[in-house]
Formats: sequence, structure tokens, C-alpha cells
Amino acid sequence: MTDTETAGRRPARADRQGRRPASGAESTVEPPSKRRRRLAPYFFVAPYALFLVGFGIAPALYGLYTSLFTDSLGAGTEFAPLGNWGEVLTDYRLVDSARNVATYVALWLPSMLMLIFAIALVLHARPGRFAAAMRFVYYIPGAITGSAAALLWLFMVSPQVSPFSPLLDLLGVENATEAVSANTPLILALMGIAIHAGGWILIVYAALAALPRDVLEAAVIDGASSWQVAMRVKLPMVSRYAALILIATFAAGTQVFVEPTVLATGVPGQISSTWSINQLAYYYATQQGDFGKAAALSLALLLVGLVVALLVIYRTKFYRIDRGLS
Amino acid sequence: MTTTGWRQRAQRARISTGCAIAGLFIAGCTAPGASTGGDDDGATSLTVWVDSTRTPGVERYLEEHPDVDIRMTTIPSDPGYVLTQISLANQADDGWPDVVFLNTPEDVASLAAPPFDFAAPLDELVDDEITDGFVEGSLSGCTFGDTLYCLRNDIGQTVLWYNQALMQEFGYEVPQTWSDYGALGERVAAEHPGYIIGGLNGKWGAGVYFESSGCPTRDVIDLTTVRIDTSDPGCVRAAELLDPLLANGSVSALSPSDPAFAQIGQENRILMLPAASWYGEHRFKAAYESPAGEMAAAPMPTWDGEDVPYSGSVGGGAFVVSRHAEDMDAAVDFATWMTTNVDHQSEQPTYPAFAEAAEAWGAARAADPFYAEDPFPVMKDQAPLIRDTFGWVRYANEWNNIFNETVVAAAESPEPLLEAVEEWGSRLTQAAEATDYEVAR
Repeated sequence: MTDTETAGRRPARADRQGRRPASGAESTVEPPSKRRRRLAPYFFVAPYALFLVGFGIAPALYGLYTSLFTDSLGAGTEFAPLGNWGEVLTDYRLVDSARNVATYVALWLPSMLMLIFAIALVLHARPGRFAAAMRFVYYIPGAITGSAAALLWLFMVSPQVSPFSPLLDLLGVENATEAVSANTPLILALMGIAIHAGGWILIVYAALAALPRDVLEAAVIDGASSWQVAMRVKLPMVSRYAALILIATFAAGTQVFVEPTVLATGVPGQISSTWSINQLAYYYATQQGDFGKAAALSLALLLVGLVVALLVIYRTKFYRIDRGLS
Repeated sequence: MTTTGWRQRAQRARISTGCAIAGLFIAGCTAPGASTGGDDDGATSLTVWVDSTRTPGVERYLEEHPDVDIRMTTIPSDPGYVLTQISLANQADDGWPDVVFLNTPEDVASLAAPPFDFAAPLDELVDDEITDGFVEGSLSGCTFGDTLYCLRNDIGQTVLWYNQALMQEFGYEVPQTWSDYGALGERVAAEHPGYIIGGLNGKWGAGVYFESSGCPTRDVIDLTTVRIDTSDPGCVRAAELLDPLLANGSVSALSPSDPAFAQIGQENRILMLPAASWYGEHRFKAAYESPAGEMAAAPMPTWDGEDVPYSGSVGGGAFVVSRHAEDMDAAVDFATWMTTNVDHQSEQPTYPAFAEAAEAWGAARAADPFYAEDPFPVMKDQAPLIRDTFGWVRYANEWNNIFNETVVAAAESPEPLLEAVEEWGSRLTQAAEATDYEVAR
């Protein structure tokens, strides 16, 4: 425990020192190490920046370029800057897809956020072999993908064979057809939680493990119960992780693709292949061969994700996280 | 070529099979060196994409054609897979197969038109003698305007499957007309609740009732024109037939792949089920575990005012030849052999589209103890009777989904089913226009 704790604190201290020169305290630092310190961040950032440009920014720019050309049967390829955007935003499927995704995100995000923090706090309050085993168990569902997942979920939502049939009974679900056609967002939210929550539980647990032990001990000495330590001390100290999860999962939620695609293979024809906005974009490219429209819709999704990320970052003062913890 | 050469090819085929399985979710997985054109030893080289059911056929073709070098990629039967891969190949301007098997033959409507522009017109390349050998009407799905774009592998004509033992036990006659069918549904609901006489869900329901009735929802005129009119009498009579049967539960709205539907079958509560010819082998025998010696096929009922027992259609695959094929004759020869070779086709699991092969296929199954009586004569009679209003369209996927979202979703509501059918029609019109069709009424 002590090791983890020290390791957790060390980077914070290094950060503070690292920033000091920028705020005008140069005289205390040796010149060669100063140069190293000045360049070090760039080395750390370089591999990521390369990937960001290669697999993020460049494809987005290519997408922007592609979205400027319209393809139509008869007329061929034409330069029409707003043609695809207009057609995509007025597509008869978009309203349905947007409504589906909105319902899904509204169900999935808050419940997953609460679950992640609840489980991480419980695991941290009772460390030991059981907690270590459970951390692994939570992670497993996210590792099942592809056709195996499709089959698994078909079984999960079929009351005849599901281990959760009492729960399905409670929801009034009598068969898989009904489960997926009438309760798609709910089922997908459950899938989404099972697939994504495990990884985040590990991250929040790691953040909890890095909390300074003296603060927690002080709280216990002052007579705080486990509940009070969790709610009044630990939770506020890791609350900025909620912002991180929110940014990452909101983007993943609005771009939901895997869950409806997988579920639709399990019960063919019951879930539209354009159920989500991202599926609609994929559909344009692969089933209609229209990459212009696909690019326009994907960029629109990217814009939504960016706007929400910026909002969350500025509202929660996200990047002050290091100073907040130290 | 020697046996060793064949073994090498077979090994290559296995490698590409593994590659296809591993690459299920990775785009553009093709056999190593999957380029077209002449081989080192001067043999003809072909790249073909087929599903796992078709691979023994390809191996057999190789045995019979030692001069042809085939690079085979086994593709999954997921809807949309072929279009996705061709779309990527178009984008890369490389990597097309010379021949591809379509599990969802509707894809040919996309592949024949821009922006895919993949399917080669076959009229000039396939002899009339061969096309004439196909079951009457079975190539109409492949034909747009007057141009033939694919060769049909098998057909999914519908028949009226029924449990002969149960029907005798309950004292029911197999209905000859849809009015009789409706009346029997009322009796079954009252006398033997829990037993079903049909299923409405998805393409399995729409393809049976609405298509046999001639409801124009995908009546192809040519590559860019389609007729959709759900106020047609063909749609109205199907909706009116189904309304009371859905309300009393004798027609199920469950998906036939739902475990709950399989349970109805396993409990032997399927009294009748108008469905595709392949249901005998694939559903009743395999999934629904119907008892041996009880199932039989009857002709489809006739609609009022008609004397022909029209079939609907569900499924049936097709072979498409690429416009980009370097050795067009070899590609066409392969597609022709796969669809018309009698020995090969008679071993296929589904009803062959080539008439002579269908006879051999039927003869091989005549003595199957699973059926109460040989279903082949009925299948053969129904084969040329698929309604010609049932064409292959680029919005086939939506056709299925929207049907579920409107008509099937309304199955349990007290509103007349016809309202949902009209909604289906108006949303189909949008779907057709979004895929570059002009919609005629």
C-alpha cells in the first residue's frame, strides 16, 4: 500500500517542480537539466501526437475533403460543398437514429457513472484477495466481442434460456423479439455497462489507491465512519475522474456502434441497421457506397463530441486536476 | 495439374478461409496474392468469394478443372458483408473478386448500379440454352430492364408446411384458399389455443403473405424505377386476413429465430406454417426439432378471385461476375458451373434454381423419413409461381426493418393492420428515394 502511495505522489511532486521554472524560479535549476526538462514533455507527447495526427487529424481532414463531393446515380461525382451535409441532415432516418442514441446515452451514462464509483469505492474500502479477483471479473465482459457476444446476448435477452429470466419477467419481457424491438435502448444500455464499466472501475480504483494515506487516516482518527470517509473524503478527491469518464463515454455513447450491431446479428431483422447515427454513417459508406455522406455525418458526430468535451473541461476546470489532488 | 498442385491450392484455400474467419471484423481480408490474371505456369487464375456452404462446390470445380487456379476466400453470410467489401475495393480501386456469391441476392441491385458498378451484364456471356434451363421466373430477380446481372444458385419459393399428424388428430383439412386458412385460424384459436398456423415477423412474414398476395412494395421496373403502392388490393386483402389471426394468436409475430419461436416448434405446436422451401431442412428438422414422419408440404392457398396458388419468396442465393474480371470467360464458366452442374447442385442443402438439378435434388430427398410425404412435388409446382411483383431492390434491408417497425409492431394493437401497412408503404417510398429510385404507383 505504502509503495503505491509513494509512487502515486511522486509524479505530483515532479510536476510541481517541473512547472516552477515557467513561473519564474529559474535560478535554482542547473542549465543542462533545465534544457532536458524543457524538452522532456515534447518527447513524452511525441508518440501520442504522431498517432493523433496519423489516425485522428489527418483522417478527419480527409473526411472533410470527401464530404465536399456528392455522388449520385446518373450525375456522377460533383463538387458541392454543402450537398452532402444538407442531404444527411434531412435524411428520414436521422431523426430516429438521433432519438435512439439520445435515449441510450440518457439511460447508460448516469447509471454507468454511479455504478463505476460505487463499485470502485466498495473495492477500495475492502481490499484483499476478493477485491483483486472482483477487479478481474468486472473486466471480463468487455473482452467478449464479435459473434460470441452476439450469441451470448441473444441468450441473455431470451427469457426461455436466460439466467436473468426473473429480471426479464419483472420488465414484462416474454421473448427475445419483444426484448430487442421494444426495449432496445435499455438492453443496449445494459450491454454498454457490461462492456465498458470494467475498465473504468479499474481506473477509478487506481485513482483511489493513489490517494494520500495521511488524509484518510486523519479522517478515521477524527471519528469518520467508512461511509463518511468514502462519501466526504474519497469521492470529492477523485470526483474529477467523473469528468474524464464523462468526456470519454459521452463520445463513445453518441458514437455507439458495436452494441446494436452485435445484438442485431443475434436476432436478425429486429434492430434497424441504421439504429444509431454512427451505424447510419457506416451504412452510407458500405451499403450505399456513398463516402461523401458518410464523411459528413461522421464529422457532425465529431463536432458534437468536441463541443461536449470542451463544455465539460471548462465547467469542471478539468486540467487543474493535478493541483487539486496535491 | 497434378494432385500435389491441387493440394497446394487446397492449402491456400484453407489459409484464406482462416484469414476470412480472423478477418470477420477486419476489412479487406483476402487470400494471399489475390490478384487476377495469368499464373506463372500459364493457368487461368480466378479469385472467388463464397460462403462456407459453397466451398465444397469450389473444391469440386477445381478437381474437374485442373487448368484453373482458384484463390478462394470464405466470406461470412452476414447481410451487408459483400457490399462493404466491394465498397472498400472500389475505394482502393483494387482487390475485387472475379466471382462472388450473394447470400442476400438483393445486393445485386446495388452491385449492378452506380456507385458500385461491379456486376457484369451476363446476357452476351451466358448461352440462352443455359438461361432457359433455369426454373421459370427464377432469373427475374437478376434481371433489371432487360439485362441479366446474376445467376441464381437456389430459390426460396414458399409452400404451406403443415403437421400432417396433428391436422388429422384435430380433424382439420389443409386449406386451399386464404379464406379457408383464415377460417381455420379462428377455429384453431378457439379449439386448440397455443397452436399456430403462421408467422408474421420480418421478411419471413412479409415474403409469405404480402408477396404471395402481390402487394407491390418492391416491384422492380428497372434499375432506377420501382413501384410501391400499399393501397393496392393485394396489400389490403393480406392485412385483412392477418388482422383477426394476430388478435387471436394463431399467427405469431415472433421472429422465427427467437428461442421462444423454437420453443413452440419443440413443443410441437406448429400446426401450419407457410414458409420457404428450405424451412423443412433448416428449421423444422434442425431448429424446431419436429418429430420425424409428421411434416408435409402443401401448395400455397389461393387468394380470392384467383386460381393460381402464388408463392412468395424468402432467401435463395446468386452468383455475380465482376466487371473487373480479367478472364471474363473463365469467371462466367465458374459461375455457370456452380449454378447449373447437376451433380454439385443436387447435393446443395437448398432448392436448386436450375431445373434439371432440382429434379436430381428432389430425387435424392424423396425417401427422407423426416417427412410424412415427399415434399418435392409441391416445391416443384410452386417454384415457377413466385409473384413477379417481388423484385430485388437496394432498400431490401429497410424493407425488412420497416416492416417490423410498422406492421409487426402493430400486430397486437386494436387498430386495423392496414394503417400500419400504409405507414410501411410511405416509409418504403422514402427508403427507395434515398437509394436513388424513382417511385411509381
